Formats: sequence, structure tokens, C-alpha cells
Amino acid sequence: MMRASFLVPALLRFPGASARQDAWGRLLKITAGGAELSTGARLTRGETVLLRFELGGERLTIPASVRHSRPDDDGQCLAELRWNDLVERRRLARVLLDVLSRV
Amino acid sequence: MSFIGLLAKENEDRELLGGLLGELGYGVEGAGRLEEALEFARERKTRAFLLVDGVGADAETLTRELLRAFPLLPVVVALKVRDASRAVALMRVGAAEVIAPPWTPEDLKLSVSKGLRFQGTALSVAKAAPLSRSPLWYALAVGLFLAAGLGAASLKRAEQNRLAAAARVDRWDLPVRHPAGLAYDGKSVWLVEWFTQSFYALSMDDTTVQVVRHLTAETPVAAAFTGEAMWTVSADGAIIRRMRDDKMTPLTRYPRAAPNSAGLAFDGLYLWTLDARAKVIRKHLVDRELSVLAVYKWRGTKAAGLVYDGKTLWSLDAADRRLLRHALERPDEPVDSMGLPEYAQGNYIPAGLAWDGKRFWTVGEAVDGKSPARLVRHQEETR
Repeated sequence: MMRASFLVPALLRFPGASARQDAWGRLLKITAGGAELSTGARLTRGETVLLRFELGGERLTIPASVRHSRPDDDGQCLAELRWNDLVERRRLARVLLDVLSRV
Repeated sequence: MSFIGLLAKENEDRELLGGLLGELGYGVEGAGRLEEALEFARERKTRAFLLVDGVGADAETLTRELLRAFPLLPVVVALKVRDASRAVALMRVGAAEVIAPPWTPEDLKLSVSKGLRFQGTALSVAKAAPLSRSPLWYALAVGLFLAAGLGAASLKRAEQNRLAAAARVDRWDLPVRHPAGLAYDGKSVWLVEWFTQSFYALSMDDTTVQVVRHLTAETPVAAAFTGEAMWTVSADGAIIRRMRDDKMTPLTRYPRAAPNSAGLAFDGLYLWTLDARAKVIRKHLVDRELSVLAVYKWRGTKAAGLVYDGKTLWSLDAADRRLLRHALERPDEPVDSMGLPEYAQGNYIPAGLAWDGKRFWTVGEAVDGKSPARLVRHQEETR
């Protein structure tokens, strides 16, 4: 696992039915299967969230579901996400390969 | 004390944020313009910058400029209006953290501490291990581990028990003295006794007698079972096909079909008989006359039994105390032989042979003619 020199910011959008404001957070870890997110928004297990972020010059919009969620030491939410969209997952995997091959 | 560089165009914001940071124990250097903030940062040991995004103070540009001068210092941006897209855009240009209004000491504290602590996003193509797992997951994992361990231990024990049982040789003294043959019907071992002209069905576990059948009109010397019938041979050489009922009702009688019979076996298609005096194996077609299709020389010394084990024929040689294996195509040329060390002492002479699907059984007649006959279940490996 490689560590980038920056934290990837992500915009969080929620389904309309939840009537929640957009939020933002930092992706602490990104893999082809999911991500680890630190955010000020409260996320609960099983919740669906749409993530928008940029990686390797590519803009990605991937729906994800919250697998686990707990508050971190600073009181923010630390969530484990799993990507739901297979097509976007493949695209993300290609982007990750590209980014990692440049290191 | 850690110093935080505070850059806010409006005095109100500087006072509010300066007060909050002061409450948190930070020293604050407030500035209204970028040049002032840079100058303070050069003079003091500033740990981080806090910017206020607003009209006339584009935080994106200011963040870029601050990071150009101090690339290692975290820049925290306080929004005056909550805008998630704006927050992401600011983080993209390098802001370590973005605070939404209303500004609170808690938000400020965690943003600054996070900005000082965060390293960078970890990237991997492979799936990462889950962040945390539920107690149920751990309980299931421990349960599975224990179950697998117990399963493996019980399997190992069962295999050890099976090997021990397979290696064991069992011997029982029987309530008869003149055995002539043995047969297996799928459930019990049947003993043929010529002196009392009887058949005894014996339990496979302890050889207790379960059934006794007397044949007053003939002297049986051998028997074999098929799926629907029982075949017996009497001392006069007659083969009788019987029903497998309580009375062993005779169905067909074949006079003098198997003279001097030492045993008979059925391979699913043909009936095989072993003639002890002529020392031949006969192959019979199961027709009206039980026609002999072929006769093969038997190369033993004293024939005492014949069985079919599902693939080959086995004959019992009582003189040499061994079993001979015969291929169905060429029974006259034994393909294997197996000694019977259970008869090495010479007290008993093997007189009958059966195969229960796993092991051979033999019955021996005492040499002195007075001691009870002995039934032997041979160990599995000797086959």
C-alpha cells in the first residue's frame, strides 16, 4: 500500500429522501473495493452516500454504502465504505493502477 | 505555546476566531492581509494558518500563496457560508481542513489538530481489510476455529479408531464342532455345519446365534447368497437354489452339479464351484441344467472354501493355510496369495471362507475333533 503526499478530499451527497445537506471529508484510504473516510458528517452503518472526488486527474462519482462507522479521537466520523457501482469500481481500479504506476 | 496565523479581512472575524483560538491555548497573530500574515509567520514560529473565506478574500488564492511560502504548514479555512463544493475545492488546492459556520471551539480544535496530524491518503488496488468488525463476526470466527479444531481432532480420533479396529483380529469359539463352510448374506455370517445338518446365522458383533435352520434330508457342505436367493450344496453334490425365507424353501434342485464341493460363489452372472477331490474350479451358467461352461485347474493342496469379493475369486487352501486369488478370466493361474497366520499353531484347520465387503472370515475345525469350532475375523490389511 502506497501513501500519497496529500489527503484526497471528497464531496458527500446523500439520497434525496434523507434530506441531508451535502458534506465533505477526507479519504484516508482508497482501494478498488472501498475507502476509509474521515468526515464531520454523521454516517450510520448501511447508509448510502454518493462520493465525488478527484484522483490522478480523473473525476470519480461513486455510490458507496457505509459498512462500519465510529467516532475517531477528534470526535469526527471515521467510516469504512464499500463501493456499490461495479462500473465505477473498475474505473477506479484503473485510475489507482495508473496513479501507483507513476510513483 | 503554538502560534496560529489568523488571516481574516474583517475585524469581527479576527476577534471572534482569535478569542476562540485563545480559549484553546493557542497564541494568535491576526492579520487582515496576506503580506501581514506572511510577515508574522516569518517572525514567529507559526504552526498553522487559519483563513476566513469571504468576499474580497478568496481563500483558494490565499491558500495557494500561503502554501507556496510555507509548504509544510497546514492551512485551515473557515467558511462564512456552508458550501460543501467550496470546501472540497479548497481542500483540493491544499487546505488541510475546512470549517463550516457556526464556528465553535470544538470544530476549531479538531480541525487544527487534524491538520497537524494527517499524513496522506493510502492507495491500493487490492481490497483493504475491514476497518472494524462486529462482535458477532469475532464470535463466529472463534466458533468456526473451535469447530474446525474439534472436527479435525474427532476425525483424527475416528481414523485412529478405524485403523485400530482394522488391525484387530477377532476370534470366537462356536457352539458347534464340525463346520463345513461359511457365507455372508449382507447382514450376518452363516455357518454351515455338516454334522448337525444345520445353518447358523451369526451376529457380526459377537457371533451369537441368531437363526438356526435344520435340513433333515441333506447334509450341507457349502452356501452362497445372491440378492434374491440362497444357494446351498449338499454332500451328494446337489446344488439347491432356495428362497431367502424362514424355511429356506427350495426352488430348484440341480443333482450332482457340484460333486465333492468345497465351496461355491456367485459373481453376479455365473456360479462358480470348487471341487476338492478333482481340484478344479467349475464355471456354471445359471440355466435349467446349471451347465458347466468351463473347468479350470485349481493349484492348491486341500480346497476348503470359495468366495467372490466383487472383483476376483478367492479360494481357501486348508493344507497350506492360505488364500489364493483368482482372476475371473484365468482362475487356473492364481494372481495372489495370502497367508493365514491365525492357523499357524496347527490346532485348527480352516474349513470355510466368507467375505463381508471389508474383511475375510474363516471358520476352523479343531484338529482333535472335540474342541469347539473357531470363527476368525481377519484384519483388514491382510487382504
